Amino acid sequence: MKLVGAGYAVPHWPEQWPGGGRSLAEQKVIYEELARADSPRLLLSFVSTYHAASTLMECGSDEQRARYLPAILRGETWCQGFSEPGAGSDLAAIKTKAELRGDHYVVSGQKVWSTMAQYADKCLLLVRTSSDGPKQAGITFLLMDMKAKGVSVRPINQIQGDEEFCEIFLDDVEVPVSDRVGEEGKGWVVAQTTLSSERGLTLMELSYRMKGALNRAADLIRQNKRQDDVGVLREFGKLVTQVDAACAIADKFLENRIGGVERIGDASIVKNSYSSALRAYAAFGVNVGGIEEQYRAPITFGDLNTGNWMADFMNSYAWTIAGGSEEVQRNIIAERMLEMPREPKSWVL
Amino acid sequence: MIELAELHDSAQKAFPADKLMPERDTSWALAAEMGWLMIELPEDQGGLGLTRQAAAAIHYELGKVLSSAPLIPAMLALRGIAGAADFAARDEWIERICCGEYVPLNMLPARIEAGADGKSNGTVPGLFDADMASHVLVGCGGAYHLVPLDAPGVRLVERKLWDQSRRVFDLVLEEARLDANTLVADGALAASLHDDIARSAHLFLAADSLGGATAALEMTIDFLKMRKQFDRPLAMFQALKHRCADLKTQVVAAEALLWSRATGAEQVSVTDLGAMKALATDVYRRVTEEMIQLHGGIGLTDEHPCHQFMKRAMLNLQLCGGLDHWREAAGRAALRQ
Ligand SMILES: Cc1cc2nc3c(=O)[nH]c(=O)nc-3n(C[C@H](O)[C@H](O)[C@H](O)COP(=O)(O)OP(=O)(O)OC[C@H]3O[C@@H](n4cnc5c(N)ncnc54)[C@H](O)[C@@H]3O)c2cc1C
Repeated sequence: MKLVGAGYAVPHWPEQWPGGGRSLAEQKVIYEELARADSPRLLLSFVSTYHAASTLMECGSDEQRARYLPAILRGETWCQGFSEPGAGSDLAAIKTKAELRGDHYVVSGQKVWSTMAQYADKCLLLVRTSSDGPKQAGITFLLMDMKAKGVSVRPINQIQGDEEFCEIFLDDVEVPVSDRVGEEGKGWVVAQTTLSSERGLTLMELSYRMKGALNRAADLIRQNKRQDDVGVLREFGKLVTQVDAACAIADKFLENRIGGVERIGDASIVKNSYSSALRAYAAFGVNVGGIEEQYRAPITFGDLNTGNWMADFMNSYAWTIAGGSEEVQRNIIAERMLEMPREPKSWVL
Repeated sequence: MIELAELHDSAQKAFPADKLMPERDTSWALAAEMGWLMIELPEDQGGLGLTRQAAAAIHYELGKVLSSAPLIPAMLALRGIAGAADFAARDEWIERICCGEYVPLNMLPARIEAGADGKSNGTVPGLFDADMASHVLVGCGGAYHLVPLDAPGVRLVERKLWDQSRRVFDLVLEEARLDANTLVADGALAASLHDDIARSAHLFLAADSLGGATAALEMTIDFLKMRKQFDRPLAMFQALKHRCADLKTQVVAAEALLWSRATGAEQVSVTDLGAMKALATDVYRRVTEEMIQLHGGIGLTDEHPCHQFMKRAMLNLQLCGGLDHWREAAGRAALRQ
């Protein structure tokens, strides 16, 4: 909330919002300084300030924007209810069903891997309103109140020792029609907006935070007295340059997006550049830290660049798997940007 | 920005993508005629007064076609001479170079020993296309000398390269005179010139490399789309798609770093630019290694251009400091911050 007051919480928002409308250069400085100062990421607000905000700004109605955006700045938290047990990379295969009854939808089904759902006030929910035609066509995008009757949440224990993502069970949950984003059956397009903000926009902040957090790796080198180890220095120099390149492409992406010349696949390149740099960053720490890293206690609420290198390493998978895995991004780059032909659709066992 | 797009454009028109390794002497004449040699030279010295970024844009395009014209060493030498305020023959040489005379700067470190009698012995490697030159600019031991190739005790030896797109020479000095007559700059001025030249060298080599990487990757993808095995284009195989997608990601990210460091390069440290060059040349090498593998047998034939890209990439890796050198330097610099 202090960041909101000072105008540093949502520098990526447009200028009519407090703290919004900042230039790219200002955003970079804010994020790098937040990381250097060891300021925790606004983990609970991640989905609300990025995913929810972008979706509402681009696809929401005026009424939805007026209702939800100020609440987000006051600290209301959101989660993303897209993935299901049977629909991960193949997101369009979702089965959670919504039926229109009068002025509300009645929703039943199950979501999984929903980050911070146990603390969320609201949910960006993808549901199936029709099973006819191509599977993308029957999808609708809803805004669901997590306190509504019929919603239950079960946190999942994760490998780094905390519970970040959850299962969400939905049993005849009522969602007012006024909380539908876009038209019925047009939710797939809205979901792409959410995902592209996740792939591109968030990475400006995360890349510059990773750059700021290089000082943790430098501290680690000194602590372990490896500052004259040429092998370590070379590895570190390579890492620093890789991180710089990830920042440069995140910058370029935003510049292109603002300039209206974003191309298909650009966000995938940004995401894979970031996720591979993040993995290299954490692996470097695990290596230089030596045996001591194997004794470290798990941390709860894993941020990405904590300096608990084993935890950071495990958390780096969040970016190679979530939001469309590294492999799925490669498919997008190859098929939609480089125009390499798709595989035949049908498949017989 | 419009200026830059125009430069990319005119370079592509002058050196079309389908003509790799265009003949050296006509390429050189064309580049000189286009005014590219003096692109960075301030307008009051008769140049175009454009930025380093603009020069890098030209090298990016020339890298795509594996240009044989030694524009990079020429621009670096001009930068050195133009910046040498105390050099008496400066203006004369600026004019000669702008009119198309070729003077290269050595792109590899020189090893010279100066004897007590004022005579020097040693070798200056990395002089590209010195057969075209009457003089070469030698940077060594904190000084720059403009050495006439017909001076006593001076001899050129061609070093045969794997890279067929370029030619390189050693200058062998045997009791040669590097003295006040050849001196262009020394002391503090030479030190600041060295940094200034190094900044350009790294940008230009990175641009050449990423232009080459872009062209090599595009050719590879075109080949995979065209070549059929198992009744389908090879490009349909995901194992190959993913390798192409990774290469694309690496090329695009390295390019983003190149252009971000090219703007306002004066404020970027030489080490940061060297590390950027290391990344760019490493990406170039990776793309060309994969290019050969993904072409299969045809990629190993002399007739096919795959190997030309790979050989140029391998040479670029060695110029102006290699991977190990710049990675270590970047590591040390980041540790000091
Ligand atoms: C930390 C974390 C947080 C998450 N948070 C959320 C959230 O808040 N809300 C939400 O809705 N979801 C969330 N997810 C879910 C995430 O979007 C999915 O995990 C992701 O889309 C992958 O789906 P899956 O786990 O079912 O893996 P699968 O799709 O089963 O994939 C398994 C493996 O197969 C590969 N694969 C799949 N398809 C292909 C293909 N066509 N070509 C090549 N390889 C392929 C994948 O890359 C992966 O390596 C989160 C996930 C993680 C890890």
